[in-house]
Amino acid sequence: MNRRVVITGVGAICALGRDARAIWAGMREGRSAIAPLAGFENQDMRVKVAAQVRDFDPAQHFDSKKLILLDRVSQFALVASREAVAQSGLDFNRGDLRQRSACVVGTGTGGEETNDEGSRRLYGEHNPRLHPLSIVRRMMSAPASQVSIEFGITGPSFAVSSACASANHAFAQAFAMVRSGVADVALAGGTEACLTLGVLRAWEAMRVLADDTCRPFCKQRRGLVLGEGAGMIVLEDFDHARARGAEVLAEFAGAGMSADAGDIVMPSDVGAARAMTAALRDAQLAPEDIGYINAHGTATPANDPTETRAIHAALGEYAKKVAVSSTKSVHGHALGAAGALEIVATIGALREGVIPPTANFIDPDTECDLDYVPNVAREAPVGAVLSNAFAFGGLNAVIALKRPS
Amino acid sequence: MSDDFTPDNVRKTVFSIIAKEAGIDESKVTLDSTLKDLEIPSLDAIQIIFEIEDHFKIQMPDRDPNFDTESVKGLVDTVEKLLADKAANPPASGSSTPPAPPAA
Repeated sequence: MNRRVVITGVGAICALGRDARAIWAGMREGRSAIAPLAGFENQDMRVKVAAQVRDFDPAQHFDSKKLILLDRVSQFALVASREAVAQSGLDFNRGDLRQRSACVVGTGTGGEETNDEGSRRLYGEHNPRLHPLSIVRRMMSAPASQVSIEFGITGPSFAVSSACASANHAFAQAFAMVRSGVADVALAGGTEACLTLGVLRAWEAMRVLADDTCRPFCKQRRGLVLGEGAGMIVLEDFDHARARGAEVLAEFAGAGMSADAGDIVMPSDVGAARAMTAALRDAQLAPEDIGYINAHGTATPANDPTETRAIHAALGEYAKKVAVSSTKSVHGHALGAAGALEIVATIGALREGVIPPTANFIDPDTECDLDYVPNVAREAPVGAVLSNAFAFGGLNAVIALKRPS
Repeated sequence: MSDDFTPDNVRKTVFSIIAKEAGIDESKVTLDSTLKDLEIPSLDAIQIIFEIEDHFKIQMPDRDPNFDTESVKGLVDTVEKLLADKAANPPASGSSTPPAPPAA
């Protein structure tokens, strides 16, 4: 059985905004939310900039009894999920929907705030007593559990982790379950709250962070800028959505996955191209059908030329014509949530016929020779899109969406 | 002790760190080599820089066009320059205070 799968709800939170609408507005404007790193003023950080969710007050979203169970990574996932479910209009208490629903949440790092706090007590204060809820806050699957509990989802629910491709791998799993009939509805996405001292120090040591801002595909790019947040969507069997008269935001057309099986950090254009080709095939789309590619586009020296070559390999001659942009230039690299924030860009492009730009672009790089839609959004009819995620460790996941027919 | 950091010692130490981290024979490392010539992948390169920083208690610049950290000579020169800067501007006394915990 291969059923059509549609998206009927989307929710997100990141430095650009507190909901998907605000985030899409920021993407369209190319308004960068990257700013000087705050909260570490006494630490002599080498990290200078980040895309932080500022002034987030969890007490506005959760009562104290709930909040004590939640790492920031789960808080973001819940906020985004509530928005997505509200938009979908689904009532999980109707019929057998709870059992017929799945939940898949990607995260690259898990409950790092809890981890950091525990480390500080253990090694900084020599206090052997950790908070009794440390485990349930920090386990990688905590966001998936919390989302399933929130909505009473009792079908297949689990976490997916593949570093910076976690969200796209989560979408692919959820899509497969709805398409095959394992579930009628799936709540899926990615979440990350990785801007802790421990994680920032580890990224500093890798020497891949930009000290100015994120400038994907341009000559002056100096590396990636870390971000945080979450994005969640409601995937639904098309007939199920139609029967209840739900508004369809986009059709989830296909997914492609691959592994480089090569270097633990250096990306491979071959592996990336295989994932893109697999996504096109799975979605039964030709290269010429694709009106926009939301690139992985981290702005590291290695990713951008490699991804450019991969797009050439996957799309052939048409690669020169397709619009490609990296919205990481405005919301930073939210690791396991990256693909989940970027699906806001692809849904927006499909619905409004507007391609969000690659912000902070200065001069082209000879190794990056595609149309990156520099700095200014472009109006263009978009019938189908790809969204790329190529993780450290060579784990690749690409999703394909199209305008609902 | 920074007194031990004579140019000769700095060069020898940098050579030995490169050889150890990259798993190559030290005799292959020369001042004229680049890390690329020595077929040192990027992950080994950042470990070399990390070990150099740890050993000399310095902070190597990140993608600074004024410093060459891609060649052996560039690494040695950078270490010497940073050690000289440190000797000229010693950290204030009582600088062993641990950094304050993060505010958030």
